[in-house]
Amino acid sequence: MAKMLMIHADKCTGCRNCELACSMSHEGAFRLQATSVHVYTWEREGFSVPMMCQNCHDAPCVKVCTPHAMTRDAVTGLVNLDHAKCIGCKMCVQACPFGNAVWDELTTKIVKCDTCGGDPQCAKFCPSHALEWVEDTVATRDRKRAFAAKFKDAFSE
Amino acid sequence: MNGWIGRILRIDLTTGKMSTEPLDAGLAKDYIGARGLGTKLLFDEVDPKVDALSPENKLIFAPGPFTGTYAPSGGRYNVVTKGPLTGAIAAANSGGTWGPALKYAGYDAVIFEGKAPKPVYVWIKDRNVEIRDASHLWGKTVPETSDGVRAETDQDAHVACIGPAGENQVLFACIMNDLHRAAGRSGVGAVMGSKNLKAVAVIGTGAVTCADRERFEQAVMKVRTIIQQHPIGGTGLRLYGTDVLTNVLNQIGAHPTKNFHDGYYPTADKIGGESLTAKVLQRPKGCFACIISCGRVSKVSNPKFKGEGEGPEYETAWGFGSSCLIDDLDAVTKANYICNEYGMDTITMGSTVACAMELYDIGAITKEDTGGIALEWGNAEAMVEMTRLTGIGEGFGKKLALGSYRLGELYGHPEFSMTVKKQEIPAYDPRAIQGIGLNYATVNCGAAHVRGYTIQPEVLGVPAKVDKDTIEGKPELVIKYQNLTAALDAAGACLFTTFGIGAEELAELLSAVTGVEYSTDDFMKCGDRIWNLERLWNLRAGLSAKDDMLPERLLKLPIKTGPSKGSVNRLPEMLPIYYERRGWDASGVPTDARLRELGLA
Amino acid sequence: MIVSYFGMLRDIAGKKEEDWKQPAATIGELLHEVVAEYGPEFGRWVLDKEELLDLAIVLVNGRDVRGLQRLGTPLQPTDNVTLFPPVAGG
Repeated sequence: MAKMLMIHADKCTGCRNCELACSMSHEGAFRLQATSVHVYTWEREGFSVPMMCQNCHDAPCVKVCTPHAMTRDAVTGLVNLDHAKCIGCKMCVQACPFGNAVWDELTTKIVKCDTCGGDPQCAKFCPSHALEWVEDTVATRDRKRAFAAKFKDAFSE
Repeated sequence: MNGWIGRILRIDLTTGKMSTEPLDAGLAKDYIGARGLGTKLLFDEVDPKVDALSPENKLIFAPGPFTGTYAPSGGRYNVVTKGPLTGAIAAANSGGTWGPALKYAGYDAVIFEGKAPKPVYVWIKDRNVEIRDASHLWGKTVPETSDGVRAETDQDAHVACIGPAGENQVLFACIMNDLHRAAGRSGVGAVMGSKNLKAVAVIGTGAVTCADRERFEQAVMKVRTIIQQHPIGGTGLRLYGTDVLTNVLNQIGAHPTKNFHDGYYPTADKIGGESLTAKVLQRPKGCFACIISCGRVSKVSNPKFKGEGEGPEYETAWGFGSSCLIDDLDAVTKANYICNEYGMDTITMGSTVACAMELYDIGAITKEDTGGIALEWGNAEAMVEMTRLTGIGEGFGKKLALGSYRLGELYGHPEFSMTVKKQEIPAYDPRAIQGIGLNYATVNCGAAHVRGYTIQPEVLGVPAKVDKDTIEGKPELVIKYQNLTAALDAAGACLFTTFGIGAEELAELLSAVTGVEYSTDDFMKCGDRIWNLERLWNLRAGLSAKDDMLPERLLKLPIKTGPSKGSVNRLPEMLPIYYERRGWDASGVPTDARLRELGLA
Repeated sequence: MIVSYFGMLRDIAGKKEEDWKQPAATIGELLHEVVAEYGPEFGRWVLDKEELLDLAIVLVNGRDVRGLQRLGTPLQPTDNVTLFPPVAGG
């Protein structure tokens, strides 16, 4: 069964622990310019949203990758990047509609979430459960249920 | 270096000259960073007798070695300077995300010297530093300034700035970063304004490294677990924010009411954390690397006090609320937003309004002074309007801008000012809690609670409950908290990590990230050293034992009602013991032996 | 005896305060009665097994029972008891 990183933006506190964990686990240092997950905060409204690769089923980045460095694993459902094959053309950066593939100048590599090999550190470090590593079907159901509860509350006496 | 970057940025605003210099490893080891580093730099470079608002004063922004790492809730920075409100050393502490940005840009501190010939802002992008014209931003609020600076630099730039209050040199003007976070007390914002420095914008693409990755990760995971399992650090603060303290303090009769006339406010619940959560809270917010999330994203829909932003914190709810006999949460929250937008310290603002209300009550000031506003106890609209006038520098706001001490003096009643070293006392009545009173009297930057937060043992029972009404053992307790907090501040950690961890865990985190070995004792000694250095600087600035005091009201006028009725603070009995335990002489001057022991002589 | 609730205890009890009619000679007895009424979700914030939870703040007429006799603190029918779960700082 495939898993996904579920984003609960309403729970995000804007603390950046996800970025810090991502940086530490991939690079062994804290360099938030080039993490796979980025948090966007709107200070006036106090709302924050973490963003990372969604591992699209029909991934534009896979389609445009001529050396086939970007491939989709049918079993895990994840889009994997083989750095050895990557030629750095940045077509994936152009193609991703969400902006989740980025180019890191320092390492001259494409940066894209790799779910830390199936044990995403961002979800582990998030203090408010804004990021959850869940079965993709469960994830959708939980949000539906949460909104269904609002109907219940609205109609309850 | 690890944890530290190893570089200090120096900017002379008078000449426009910019330079960098290395951070001395020995200095870093002894003073850690942030408050400690800033204090050492100030001590070495600034004559304590300078006028705080003159170009001779320096303004130092310094994060700590934790800042920029995932040390839990370890993303803070300090602003160190001479405080215009107090005439003493000022070290204002702030969270948000600005401090880490400065580390990623490649600096352990930035020192601002002199005064720019006209309004400027500084734009730091890694090693590229520019001083830019800010004339078009002068007069703008904190949100407008942040937007304006970002539009000209980078939409992701982290901005620390002053509002109109700092420009007008309101003596308690603060520096705001990330819109809602304040380096709050002692008027550090006025110093920034006196230098014609409107904002400091930072983008950093570099890294903060750690010396021993495995050891640091282990220490971090351990600390995270401890704090997350702690009912306060892990749950209470996120659910209710610091304002949950309103009812705690009120129910034990230690909630200063009506400018410290009393210690119990019957309707305090209306401005407490439970009410805040129910009525104005949108969601919790966390600073950089924070796992506690005490921040309150809030919104007031009531058209009379409409607004949005963050807060109020306990001190703010108290200052604009109970201290003024106001129990209107919307009004209190609105006053908080005004302070954030104009850049003013909420504790001093609230307490100054309370002092003004007392002056008005006895007729020392009248409607003629207030521009027709009835500044009566409990008048919420008047309180909000006075706050606004102070922010924009108009009408009676110009007098309030002096802070309660100078305001009280001006109208013949300095005894109505609840201050120590001219800085307003926070929301814990020292008549009902002995140790915090001793702390207020002896904190180097003026009355402050976070510098020696003995409320933890005396009221909350963290780590264990201590009798709040006894004076026995309080000097030792206060000293321990003051030293611990100085070292903790210097590391860049948040005080609220102490809901769970102590010196031992902090020393381990520090050792692992920097690669410099600190035992628990070493860590506490750094705090002791920083404390004594602050003291020395203050003594040279002209402060003395007579400034280690509490207002008469708190020594002589017992609390009127509530569970702590009848108490006064027994400072005169505790202070001599405090001096002795600190290794100071009877006049509160550190002895040579003490200074040698700390490497300060 | 008026029993007042703060923090999340209010949400769990569903009220800010109440006139507690059941007799209780000590704080321990009272807490057991209150926990029996509102359940373990309430109980976990004031009791640690059979002991007083260290960080809970229980007041009798504004005085912290941790400075009195903790669960053994005696009660009069006219006392005011205040219950706080472990809370905050700042």
